[in-house]
Amino acid sequence: MLADKVVDCHVLVIGSGGAGVRATIEASQYGDTVLISKTIVGKGGCTTMAEGGYNAVLRDEDSCGVHFEDTLKGGAYLNDPELVNILVKEAPLRVNDLITWGAVFDFTENDEIAQRPFGGQRFPRTCYAGDRTGHEMITTLVERLDSSNVTLLQEYTVIDLLKSGESVIGAMALDEKGNLVLLKADSTILATGGGTKVYDISTNSSSGTGDGFAIGYRAGAELIDMEMIQFHPTGAVFPYDARGRLVTEAVRGEGGTLLNNLGERFMKRYDPERMELSTRDVVARAIATEIQGGRGTKNGGVYLDVTHLPHEQIETKLPVMLEQFLKFGVDIRKQPMEVAPTAHHIMGGLRITPECRTTLSGLFACGEVAGGVHGANRLGGNALADTQVFGKRAGEFAGKSKKRIKNVDDDQISQKLEHLDTFLKGSENPARVRTQLQQAMWRGAGIFRNATDLNKTLEIINNLSLANVRAESFGNLAECCIVRNMCLTASLICRSALIRQESRGAHVRVDIHQTHDAQHSPFNHTFISPSRKGIEKNRGLT
Amino acid sequence: MKDITVRVYRFDPEKDREAHFETYTIEVNEGARVLHVLHAIHDELDPTLSYRYSCGSGQCGSCAVRVNGEPVLACMEEAQNNITIEPLNLSVKKDLVVDLLPTLETIASLKPSDSQKMPTKSDIDTIKPLRDCIECLCCVSVCPAMDVTKFLGPTAMRQEMRLALDPRDSGDRIVDAVREGLFTCTSCQACWKACPKEIEIPSKAIEKLRTLANKKGLTLPKHQEVAALVKETGRSVNRIEPTFMELVNAEVIEPTGPVKATIGFFVGCMYNMRLPKAALDAMEVLKRNGIRVIIPKEQVCCGSPLIRTGQLSFLDTLKKRNIDAFRFRGIDTVMTMCAGCGSTLKNDYKTPFNVMDISEVLTTYGIEPPARLPIKATYHDPCHLLRGQGIREQPRQLIRQVVDLVDMPSICCGSGGGVRSGNPEEAAALGKRRGDEIKKTGADIVISSCPFCEFHIAGHTDKPVKNITTVLLEGYKEKDRKKGNSKVT
Repeated sequence: MLADKVVDCHVLVIGSGGAGVRATIEASQYGDTVLISKTIVGKGGCTTMAEGGYNAVLRDEDSCGVHFEDTLKGGAYLNDPELVNILVKEAPLRVNDLITWGAVFDFTENDEIAQRPFGGQRFPRTCYAGDRTGHEMITTLVERLDSSNVTLLQEYTVIDLLKSGESVIGAMALDEKGNLVLLKADSTILATGGGTKVYDISTNSSSGTGDGFAIGYRAGAELIDMEMIQFHPTGAVFPYDARGRLVTEAVRGEGGTLLNNLGERFMKRYDPERMELSTRDVVARAIATEIQGGRGTKNGGVYLDVTHLPHEQIETKLPVMLEQFLKFGVDIRKQPMEVAPTAHHIMGGLRITPECRTTLSGLFACGEVAGGVHGANRLGGNALADTQVFGKRAGEFAGKSKKRIKNVDDDQISQKLEHLDTFLKGSENPARVRTQLQQAMWRGAGIFRNATDLNKTLEIINNLSLANVRAESFGNLAECCIVRNMCLTASLICRSALIRQESRGAHVRVDIHQTHDAQHSPFNHTFISPSRKGIEKNRGLT
Repeated sequence: MKDITVRVYRFDPEKDREAHFETYTIEVNEGARVLHVLHAIHDELDPTLSYRYSCGSGQCGSCAVRVNGEPVLACMEEAQNNITIEPLNLSVKKDLVVDLLPTLETIASLKPSDSQKMPTKSDIDTIKPLRDCIECLCCVSVCPAMDVTKFLGPTAMRQEMRLALDPRDSGDRIVDAVREGLFTCTSCQACWKACPKEIEIPSKAIEKLRTLANKKGLTLPKHQEVAALVKETGRSVNRIEPTFMELVNAEVIEPTGPVKATIGFFVGCMYNMRLPKAALDAMEVLKRNGIRVIIPKEQVCCGSPLIRTGQLSFLDTLKKRNIDAFRFRGIDTVMTMCAGCGSTLKNDYKTPFNVMDISEVLTTYGIEPPARLPIKATYHDPCHLLRGQGIREQPRQLIRQVVDLVDMPSICCGSGGGVRSGNPEEAAALGKRRGDEIKKTGADIVISSCPFCEFHIAGHTDKPVKNITTVLLEGYKEKDRKKGNSKVT
């Protein structure tokens, strides 16, 4: 065998965020399960950073139907309705799993799970644990994982899927020293999270490099709606190196107001009804417009102000925000925060069925790497719910899948080894490639888009993809693979953005004049795979 | 943009026989954090530098390192020029990457109970402060007990307490915690001072677990003996010689010159009954510096030995007696000499008066300069003074007026938290480490400001161990001798 180590299992889960760990817990009931993770389990991914909350219908006054409508409306009707239906129906069940396993969510005086209002929703249905909800979830999930009988491979980087014919039979990975490891599995679950690290300004953790999109695409899977990038309205702007750091929507949920440098509560000009609690696409564009119009702060943001709230509310409901800003010299009880949009979430991803099956046999996907649930704009609080609902489903259906014969193709391995070898002989600094990519994406594929800039960006990406990047040592091989994945994910975003010739949700094409609104769009999902690309037409409209 | 120079610990077990430091100068942005400096070094100077990070916003606990010896999260700590960046004091895998997994694996998990009993809001509110832990292991990296004895460590205890509070859990957390080393914690407070989330593990977890253990009859026999003695005599040690209060035999000690201030003196069991000479020396120093001292006779043990070991049944009686002793005399400032009593009065009592350590009193009102003694001294920071009361500079300021001071790392001597009586082997192992550090400084004497530390360290060094006030008094005697004047006898 060409690899340094071979692992065989029933279900292989790639990624240790909320979706990956939830999938692992579920799959472990059906057979040997391996969870492989680029980071220490519980520390990587974006779930642990998720602050605001988890949407679930828990009260009699609320209903799944309203949650369904809010999600579709927020998603500019691009969501897959079947997936949304599953999301809203199962989110309450999955939050109950978490509570049963020990999650410490905030409770009301009546000893029920507390809920707060979030943008684009007609009922305050966002459950939370202060402003560290995702951390609470992942802590609970990892505790649960400890009592499941699974193998954890931590700080391993998956670099590609293993194929046998058209089926996926596992994955190839590098350990931290750069040794190749083969993982054979009857079913493989991609739960690698998002990829907005391809932008210069992003909320994502170090693992948000889009590896799952790239790995899935290279293996032949089809991805949908990759142009749909959520720019979170409120990212930090100072200090420079911490730019993009998430300032949770819970700040606005708790009553925070947005002000421009004239002291004007400008949301009244963009969405007078919902104001600061409009959907994220609307608020992000409003802030970007204010800044571009010269009404921003000197650090290039707008003000987000909670100084009118009682100190106690800030201290108990937004403790992480308070602590983070204090570290950067701002006491949010007394001074406004400065914020600007930041690349946050990729709504698009691998096309999945309600059972989380991708277009490739043997490959499942869940969480942010999967597409279709959030349409053209995700509601705050729906991502954490997504991780649990579809993580559980992916684990269950992968677990229930049949055993298969896994013949590893030695050619695939030797090709990969050769490919890795070129990195050791490379000459260009991967960090430089990454920086250039991130800047190009921020300039040319950001909130406001046009064909000229997208084509220009795509050309830059194509050049960067060809850069002869160098691995200084075996331990640096993974970095080179990741930079290549970032280039591929960025290119999928730009290519899909060119295909979608309309403005919808988070995707704004300023070069296209449009008469239809989202609900009457002639278009449905964009799709892209190595063998085909295009846009689906809405039935009955064209 | 600005240039910054840092020293970084480098070690590759595959290549290096031992670790070394590399110095890098690199351009970073204003406000850059330590993590951004590491990124810059990795991206521009040396891609083989290994360090761990993930969220970059203080939420995942991946990036903890030591900066100038202190554990911090690299992503939150602002980078300063000329800092030294080292891995946490844990097993190093490469450069700044340490092996977190062996410790993370020991942290307990909730075992769901069948009863389906859900927590109430009040349960949730009690659990929440213990739930902020991001498992960065800063606490584990500074825990002295873990170095010398079997102890799963601060965050494991935090988790046991979190589980003990949760009706959904079916585990026997108290028995587990005792087995995992609950009684090995010296209550040195290093863990929570290192915690980026400021979780007060000693008071919110360890002492609470010990209280629960007490209810289950699991308190160590030696600790029970102390509690019985306090209950019987009001004191945590027995009388073997004339006590400080017997020797003074007066309620008020008037200063020699004009009165600068009047304070009540909370003597504490150890200075009263084991080290009365140090307390008498302190009285001389206060007398000479214009401080009138009132010593209420009815004061008793502060209760620290009971609180630290989780035996709370008699505590309220002690507290009331002590508070009344000073309140009835209208005293508005109470002085402690013992770091443990001071920390207890400041943190575990609600006092109607202000509490000050003697080093605070002397530096606040100022002292007459003593003569310099031709000796080199090192200072042992008592845990309950440095971390319990945040007092670091005042003792040093006093010491530097009389002798040359050589610093040593501030680590627990092993005498606190009931460990000297309950786990003498552990206390001896930590005491020996102090002895080694003292040797390294080349000092002639060791100075401290806590009777437990002074008493314990004296058994582990061949150098004399003295209270700060004793050394000050020696300085005054020398001054008087030089002047041919015998004001102080």
